[in-house]
Amino acid sequence: MIGVYLHIPFCRLLCPYCDFVKRPYKGAAPDRFVDALVTEIERFEGPREACSVFFGGGTPSVLTREELERIFSALRQRFTVAPDAEIGFEANPDDITPEALAAWRELGINRLSVGVQSFDDGALTYLGRAHGAKAAHQACEWTAEAFSNWGMDLIFGAYPVESWGRTLAACRAHAPPHISTYGLSYEPKPPFAKRAREAVDDDVYIAQYEAAHTAFENHLHYEVSNFALPGYESQHNLLYWRNAEYAGFGPGAYSFLDGIRSRNLSRFRDYERDPGGKSEALKLTPSEIRVETVIQHLRLREGLEKRVYVERFGRSLEADYGEAIRGLVQRGLLEDEDGCMRPTLKGFEQNSEIGLALLG
Amino acid sequence: MATPLDRIRNFCIIAHIDHGKSTLADRFLQLTGAVDERNFQDQSLDTMELERERGITIKSVSVRLTYTADDGTEYVLNLIDTPGHVDFSYEVSRSMAACEGALLLVDAAQGVEAQTLANAYKAIEQDLEIIPVINKIDLPSADVDMARRQIEEVVGLDGDSAILASAKEGIGTQEIIEAIIGRVPPPKGNRDAPLKALIFDAVYDTYRGVVIHTRVKQGRMRKGMTIKMMSNGLQYDVNELGVFTPAIKPAESLETGEVGYVICSIKTLKATKIGDTITDVANPAPHPLPGYQEVNPLVFCGLYPAGETDYEELRDALERLQLNDGSFQYTPDSSDALGLGFRLGFLGLLHMEIIQERLEREFDLTLVTTIPNVGYRVLKSSGEEMIIENASQMPAPNEIERIEEPYIEAEIITPTAFLGAVCDLCKDKRGIHVRIDYIDNNRCMVFYQLPLAEVVMDFYDRLKTISRGYASLEYRLLDNRPGKLVRLDILLNGEPVDALSTIVHRDRAEQIGRTLASRLQRLIPRQQYEVAIQAAVGNKIIVRETVKAMRKNVTAKCYGGDITRKRKLLERQKEGKKRMKQVGRVEVPQEAFMALLQVDGDRDK
Ligand SMILES: Nc1nc2c(ncn2[C@@H]2O[C@H](COP(=O)(O)OP(=O)(O)OP(=O)(O)O)[C@@H](O)[C@H]2O)c(=O)[nH]1
Ligand SMILES: [Mg+2]
Repeated sequence: MIGVYLHIPFCRLLCPYCDFVKRPYKGAAPDRFVDALVTEIERFEGPREACSVFFGGGTPSVLTREELERIFSALRQRFTVAPDAEIGFEANPDDITPEALAAWRELGINRLSVGVQSFDDGALTYLGRAHGAKAAHQACEWTAEAFSNWGMDLIFGAYPVESWGRTLAACRAHAPPHISTYGLSYEPKPPFAKRAREAVDDDVYIAQYEAAHTAFENHLHYEVSNFALPGYESQHNLLYWRNAEYAGFGPGAYSFLDGIRSRNLSRFRDYERDPGGKSEALKLTPSEIRVETVIQHLRLREGLEKRVYVERFGRSLEADYGEAIRGLVQRGLLEDEDGCMRPTLKGFEQNSEIGLALLG
Repeated sequence: MATPLDRIRNFCIIAHIDHGKSTLADRFLQLTGAVDERNFQDQSLDTMELERERGITIKSVSVRLTYTADDGTEYVLNLIDTPGHVDFSYEVSRSMAACEGALLLVDAAQGVEAQTLANAYKAIEQDLEIIPVINKIDLPSADVDMARRQIEEVVGLDGDSAILASAKEGIGTQEIIEAIIGRVPPPKGNRDAPLKALIFDAVYDTYRGVVIHTRVKQGRMRKGMTIKMMSNGLQYDVNELGVFTPAIKPAESLETGEVGYVICSIKTLKATKIGDTITDVANPAPHPLPGYQEVNPLVFCGLYPAGETDYEELRDALERLQLNDGSFQYTPDSSDALGLGFRLGFLGLLHMEIIQERLEREFDLTLVTTIPNVGYRVLKSSGEEMIIENASQMPAPNEIERIEEPYIEAEIITPTAFLGAVCDLCKDKRGIHVRIDYIDNNRCMVFYQLPLAEVVMDFYDRLKTISRGYASLEYRLLDNRPGKLVRLDILLNGEPVDALSTIVHRDRAEQIGRTLASRLQRLIPRQQYEVAIQAAVGNKIIVRETVKAMRKNVTAKCYGGDITRKRKLLERQKEGKKRMKQVGRVEVPQEAFMALLQVDGDRDK
């Protein structure tokens, strides 16, 4: 059983901070992309059973019903999707209408993430988003009516700084079962890189991060950036965090199968010419897999049980990472609860420190 | 067949920086067919990567050219292209000792500048025949009459004898060569006398070992003969010798008056000394040639291995580089913060920068450089006297009777339009006005006495800025004078970082301390614990800054399953941590030491 990720590389408007592979949704490109994606799925030679499907991007919600139908039919031909499998889909507020929601449900989508980012017009403008706060509210209302399993993505660290408090309050009012909160980062390639000096101070960043932690106290802060009511965790993302196997389709998508981490060609033209062609494929060594697994697990509040490590690798966590882990416990980044290592809130906030210590 | 002495001319090209020496050398190379036209590059003798990047000559280069004169006689011309920047004036002196004549280039648009004068005086001192050349006459702003007048009145040479040229367009090239043949005397010296050859340069070549550049003053050097270095008596067999055309070209012998190279199996680099005399073991000369005056470094800094580089690698690299540049000095040194390293002395800040870069590039080293300083003379209360080249050696304030700092006399040639700004700058740098000489209506020479410490910092850059590049500077050491000097220490969590100590004027201590501390505050990443940065004079803390404890270090998003890339990012971060220097419990990035180099208060305001 593997997870299936589908990368839909289109957006109506390109957000200036985003670092994912994408292009504007127009002309013949979407059609050619769907052809290529279908070809890639058909050609795929890996496992046949899927335990989760996730449409990410880009913006999957720009696709028309017909386009989605073609993709789903290829998917269902190639994969046996478990009946209880999570089929997740990212949508932008602009694209969300009762009709669209109904169509997505009919296709089998059972989990929706709304790209709200903020409920503040000022912050949305700063982020260069197409929608306003009003559209965001409306989209959330409609989504909540159509899907019981839904969530929203929020971005903190934008300007005006005070907008974050308003966004948190508005989010709570919609009571989504799942919330992701990402700190705005100024990656080197997107236009925002030039504005890196605007990045909020670490103290503000942490204050906003902790404000979310407090605001969503009824949710479980189950991963560095994610909150969920019990049972509403993102099953697909949990695969990544548990370093399980998944196959990625679409330009620039990553896969992890048979100990090989690979990436699809990301330039659009290259991808179309050779759907499923790889720009890199790395056979990881056992020790690389071990350390990546531990690092990923320690993004999760559920943490890593010593027993799980032994079962998976036939080795002792203590022997491999005992010293590093003790140091992290001492620094207050991890806690050891009856043989289960879990990150504390501080361990979330300084999660890279955990990785650094483990790479020792 | 040896070339008769009267068919040899040895000359160098000297000038102020950028007046066109290397470009003129190109024309000579082309006229005499010494270069392959297809692969020709401008300033073809500037072969060092740094020279090409910066568009300046750093090293003197000698080339042997063959030229058939108007009367059909074939001549051997040895040309040495020299650098113009004040920091490399040692290169110019070194080259002159291998010549009988010098071409003095004057940019027709700029006129006589500081190094035009300085280099002309050096040539006069060495008794060289000087041929003035007015270059860049193709420029619309060229003022040939002005240049002629200045050569006459400022330098004191015959302005009418100056040749008009454009090195860029090849105007005057032939006329200059004919003038060299007609006016520069051929080398003197007895070819049958015992061998005396001056070592004027050397390079370490990985394949050939030490390659000595030499000028035979008397006698002859032959392949296979046994030679002796007169300074240390070490003997070697000559494996190969030859000339530069500019490529290396082996020959059977080097005769009196000729310039070329010698390769022996020299194992210890220290055995080769620039300025030494080579003689024949079978028929030794009784006395060596005068050699070179030792140069006194003016600026010092510490150089420490960093990253993958270790102490031994740095030591070997310094040894090899010194062969090629005798004008910097080094002695072992150590620092609590940086470990084992070296203290280096340079002729100026550019020199320092170049040496550091050459070490990093030519020897692939990673280095940390400390804040540069000058040498101070300290008189202790005990009566003891010491020269301090490293601020951390400075005794405690209560043990000090007096500190003296070196002063220089600066001679600045500037258009009168910038005179006010130049004087203001000198005043700001604690300068003492001496006098102003007017060259003509538009230009003058300004004389100031200045503390060397003020000049080595950022004086040159600021002079260039305020004069839009027109003012030029030459200086000579005067004496040591007492000054209100103190040692400024930087403390991290209460521990002094010896490598960051500097000696500064008391009135500047706070401002400099503030600049250093706030720069450090920006450069030291947040750590597990809060870091206090303090600047102190003696026991008195004058500035305090804090680096708050780390609160955040996280990549929020896990990029669509790109887990391996994340691990690699962490590994890189980890590598970065390893390259940090540990001061007590504080990790200081190497860039912090380097970025502190520009102690230019203005840039932070
Ligand atoms: N217009 C014009 N430009 C020239 C002439 N000669 C040289 N230049 C330019 O002046 C600049 C400096 O020339 P170089 O030959 O590098 O000067 P240099 O004297 O060797 O400089 P340093 O070795 O750094 O002291 C270059 O941009 C040349 O192209 C000339 O006759 N006319
Ligand atoms: Mg030059």
